[in-house]
Order: sequence, then C-alpha cells, then structure tokens
Amino acid sequence: MPRSRTQTKKAQIMSLEEAAKTFMHDGIMCAWSGFTGFNRNPFAFAWQSVRQGVKNLHVIDRHGSCCTWLLNAAGAIKVYETDWMGWGEMAGKLDINLEKRYKKGEMILEDYSHGAMAMRFLAGAIGAPFIPYNAPLGSDLYNPKYDALGRAGMRGKDPRIPKKKFIQMEEPFWGEGDTVLLPSARPELAIIHVAQCGDKGTARWRGVGTIDKEISFAADKVVILAEEVVPESEMRKLPEGNQIPYFVVDAIVECPWGAFPSSVPFYYDYDAPFMRDMDKASRNPDDMKKFMDEWVYGPKSWEEFIVKLGAKRLLDLKADSVTGYSTRMMRGKKPAPRMKMPLSVAMSGY
Amino acid sequence: MAKSMEQLMELIDKMPEETAKPGEFILPELMAIQIAHQVRNDDIVFAGTGLPMVGIMTANFLNAPNALLIYESGICDGKTMHVPMSVCDQRAANMSSTLGGLVDTFGYYLQNGYVSLGFLGGAAIDKYGGVNVTSIGDYYSPGHRFTGSGGNSDIGTMAHRVAYIILQEKRRFIERNDYTTTPGWWCWDFKKNEWKPKKEVWKGTAYANSGPVAVVTNMGNYGFDEKGEIYLKSFHPGVTVEQIKENCGFALNVSLVEGETKKPTYKELFVLREFVDPELIFLPQKVEYPASIQKLING
Repeated sequence: MPRSRTQTKKAQIMSLEEAAKTFMHDGIMCAWSGFTGFNRNPFAFAWQSVRQGVKNLHVIDRHGSCCTWLLNAAGAIKVYETDWMGWGEMAGKLDINLEKRYKKGEMILEDYSHGAMAMRFLAGAIGAPFIPYNAPLGSDLYNPKYDALGRAGMRGKDPRIPKKKFIQMEEPFWGEGDTVLLPSARPELAIIHVAQCGDKGTARWRGVGTIDKEISFAADKVVILAEEVVPESEMRKLPEGNQIPYFVVDAIVECPWGAFPSSVPFYYDYDAPFMRDMDKASRNPDDMKKFMDEWVYGPKSWEEFIVKLGAKRLLDLKADSVTGYSTRMMRGKKPAPRMKMPLSVAMSGY
Repeated sequence: MAKSMEQLMELIDKMPEETAKPGEFILPELMAIQIAHQVRNDDIVFAGTGLPMVGIMTANFLNAPNALLIYESGICDGKTMHVPMSVCDQRAANMSSTLGGLVDTFGYYLQNGYVSLGFLGGAAIDKYGGVNVTSIGDYYSPGHRFTGSGGNSDIGTMAHRVAYIILQEKRRFIERNDYTTTPGWWCWDFKKNEWKPKKEVWKGTAYANSGPVAVVTNMGNYGFDEKGEIYLKSFHPGVTVEQIKENCGFALNVSLVEGETKKPTYKELFVLREFVDPELIFLPQKVEYPASIQKLING
C-alpha cells in the first residue's frame, strides 16, 4: 500500500518457524511467489503456516500453486482472489479441495485473468491506485453482476479490498474505445521463494520472473525464502542479475529445498509424481487425512520432511548447471532423451 | 542400438511426406498436428499448456522453425529441447531470447499488439467462438467449476488470430455459454445490456478485428465465416458429418466442408514422437511405425 515511510526496513534473518509465527496471522491478505505448481512455490512456508493453524486467509494471486493446494487442503483460505484456480497443470488441473469448499459455500472466489492480475500487481508495485487495461470487454469477468466480494458485502470496509471490482470507461486520451480500470493489488504480505538472497536482503532468482518483483513491491511486508543466503557483497558482483532490492525485505529465511515439490531453476526440478500423489490424495477424504498426517503434521521440521523424501529422490530432482532442470527424473512414461541442441535451432539457427 | 538424437535429427529429411494410414496414428497426434498447421513461420505465438504447447512445438520443429513462442510466465522465444509440463517450466525457458514476467508477456507483448497467434484450450464454446473456462450452471453455485480464465481471456481477445482446442460434445458446443470467459465474435455489451458483434463492443480499440479463426476438436476442424459464425471445415478420419452434427448443441453450418482432415504425414509423426514428446507426457502412447518407416529409422 503506498504510504510515506519514515523508517527504513531492516531485514532479519530468521528460522522458518519464527518467520511464519511473526508474519502470518488469521485473516491476512497474502500473495505467494512462483507460477502454478511448478516454479518457485514457497511451499515450506505454506507448510509451516498450516502447521501453525492459520485460518481465513485472503489469498490474492495470479495462480494456484502447491501452496494454495495445501492451504485449501487444510481449509485455510476464506477469500481467493485470483484468475486460475488450478494448481498443477498435469495433476488434474483443478484443486479438488478448493472445488469442494467452494461448492459448500466455505470460500469466496473472485475471478480475474492473468493479464488483469499482473496489471493489478504492477499498479500496486508502483504505488498507483488503479491501472487501465484492455481487459476483455464482453467477458463475464467484467459483467457487473459477477462481483463475488461485492455480493458478500466485503467491499468498501477493509482498506485492502477496493470499493469496486473494476470500472469500464471510455478511454479519455486517445479515443480508443472502452477500457477497463483495475484497482491495484495491496496484500499485507508477500512470500517469495528465490535462489539466492544476500544477508541484507537483496534477492535473485533464475528462470522466469512471473510477477514476484511486482508482488514484493505491492505488499507491505516481504518474507524471502532462499535456497542459499550468501554474503551481501557477493550479490553486488552482478547487480543486474538481482530482482529484489533489500529495502523492501522484512525477513530472510534460508530454506534449502523449500520450494519442493515445485522447482527452483538451476537448483532442482519439480516432482511430477509427488504432485500426482497429492492430487490423488485430495480425491478421497481418508487419503487426504493420511497425506496430511504423513507429510504435513508428521515431520518435526522442514528438514525432516526433506530427509523423508530420501536421497534417491533428491538426486533425481537435482538440476544440472547447464539447462537448469533435471533429465534424470521420470516425468512421463519414458526417460528424457539426451539432447545437445533444440531442434528448432538446428533447423533455423537463430 | 537406440539412435542418438543427433542421428535421429539427420533422418528427418528422409522421412516421407506421404500421409499415414488409419491405425498408424492416434487422435491426440492428429490433433497436435492440426494445431501445428495453424502456425506460420513468421508468427509470434502465445500458447497455453497441454496440447496447444505440444502442437506449436511441433510446428516450431517442422513448418515454422522461426515462429517465436511466448509462454505466459515470462518466456520469450524459448528454444525447447524437452517438452515442458507447464508454461513456467525451465524447459520452456531454454535458450530463450529474454526472460521476464507476466507484465512482459501480457503487457509489453500482448497488450502492445505483438502477438499474432494465440492457441488455447476451452471447456465449452459458443457458435461465435466465445469460450467458457470458468463455470457451468449458475456462476455463484455452479454445477461444474473450472480453473477460470488464467491467460485465456487476455490472449483470446488480444492475439490477432486465435485458435482453440476443445473436446467436442453436445454440452460443450452450445448456442450460448453459461459464462463467457473469453468473448468470441459476438458478446454482451454490458453497458447497454445488448448481445452484439464484438466489433461494435470493441469499436475504437486496437483489437476489434482480433478473435477466433480456428477450432480443432477430436472430431473435426472449424473455421469462422464473415458473420463470425463457426462452420465445419473438415472432419477427422473415421468421423462422419452426421456424427459431428449430433455432437453439436446448435445448428452447425456444414455447407462449407472441404472434406476429410488431412492425415498426418510420416515426417510429422516422426518429429512429434521422437522430438516433441518422446517422454510420453502428453501423448498417451507411442504407436509402432509401419515396417517401411521403421526400416528407414533402423538404417
């Protein structure tokens, strides 16, 4: 939320337990990094939050992920303001627990689209109150009848929930037909999983950026979970490789394998079989309970969770340093072939 | 001895361009190749996960090696070696031109008008190409709830040409959607509460003439006429026009049918099987090649 700040933040290095205890609370509006269930999901933080019993979350995001899957499995989400309610494209797409809870009226879904949520976070990041976007006119996303938060009487009360879902207006400067104004996204907390973080808070990932930089600036508080915490001076040797400056960061948690079962490019790959097992578990209440007892409430710590996965699994998932992913992992029915060059490059060059 | 990928690459040009016979390919292969045919060599393509991604990769390895592929998580011109399971898979980012995020792909590329072809999925489609990926029944208490828009509504309205891949059933090919996620050539004008041509609702914007041009289903290929209405263009091998009409919830225009869908060629099947999805992630199985082709492969 834009406000004139008088005090500079100083990022604290803390444990996963401390960070979840300090920053998560019932009813918090939060956003999670990565993209779908496959890339840089701060799963360890969601896992820890569920163990601490957080409830009534307002998740504002542009995707479902392994994090939202787990939060839904624990019934922790009350409002889900997003654009894609799936979580892992290969694992049954729709989140079964989400569907169940939604149909029972236990949660509110507010629909937008990827582009719209990206623009809302961009507006939030640059401190703009709203942003015009050529959102699809004639789509029921912008049908005045379909405003789930408005229908629930939640608009105009909470300072983080805008008074309106959108405003369609005539484009006033160029005469280019109608355009849609979207309110900025203003979560209280952004939870971002990255590859490396300096001990002062400067953070870096490799691979796609999704909208994690925008989310970090749009939120009031930012927790960074990193595969490795390194001396800040090391991060300054290649500043153009960094995305998040330290002054927006509140907490740093070193959490190796913390994005499992999603991937951290150049560190480890996503675990498709594990995600399929998660999906399978969600299709039956007994299996779901078994999964939660075994994987969420069973291990004493995140470290124990990773140890439980076993060395073989971690070896298979370990990314190679050239492509950033693993070719040893069995994703489909056949092993990955050895390739030296993409066929499209072989055929056309660049 | 199994051939290396480099040895297999050298075989591509030796593969006959002759069409395969029924039984030598499966439906998902046929559909992926129909998608590939939509891609032009100079296209900037924005595609969704699943068969659309497999199809445009096939095109990228065959008829459109220069087509630039954008994946919504921020990937620009990925040169893929292993089929990605998701649009944010590091595999899709391999050797890309630049990597950014959603603001890049939806803002800088899409809203700015660079994307010439969008390829998407859908749960249901109306006769003007309007797509529903949100819910069936009442929006607030749906019979079925799907994942929701994702990038569908953005890409489906701002890419210049849009193509969909949809499972054809009577309840999915319908006169009017319960919920229109991505409007087709006709849509609601919510300000006036009128159902009218998209060109009027979108008048003045840069995208008034952008919209659906093709639909690929498990039964046939479709196009759109000048009124924006869908028509049957070709029927897949083994499917009759009658069966297609029975699996359509409105009176389908079949007067413009060109004939049976062209079966995939051995060359297309070879590229799809050996290079696009040899791990069998999206394709359910690998069908055996006929003896003559297998002999070519064995050398």
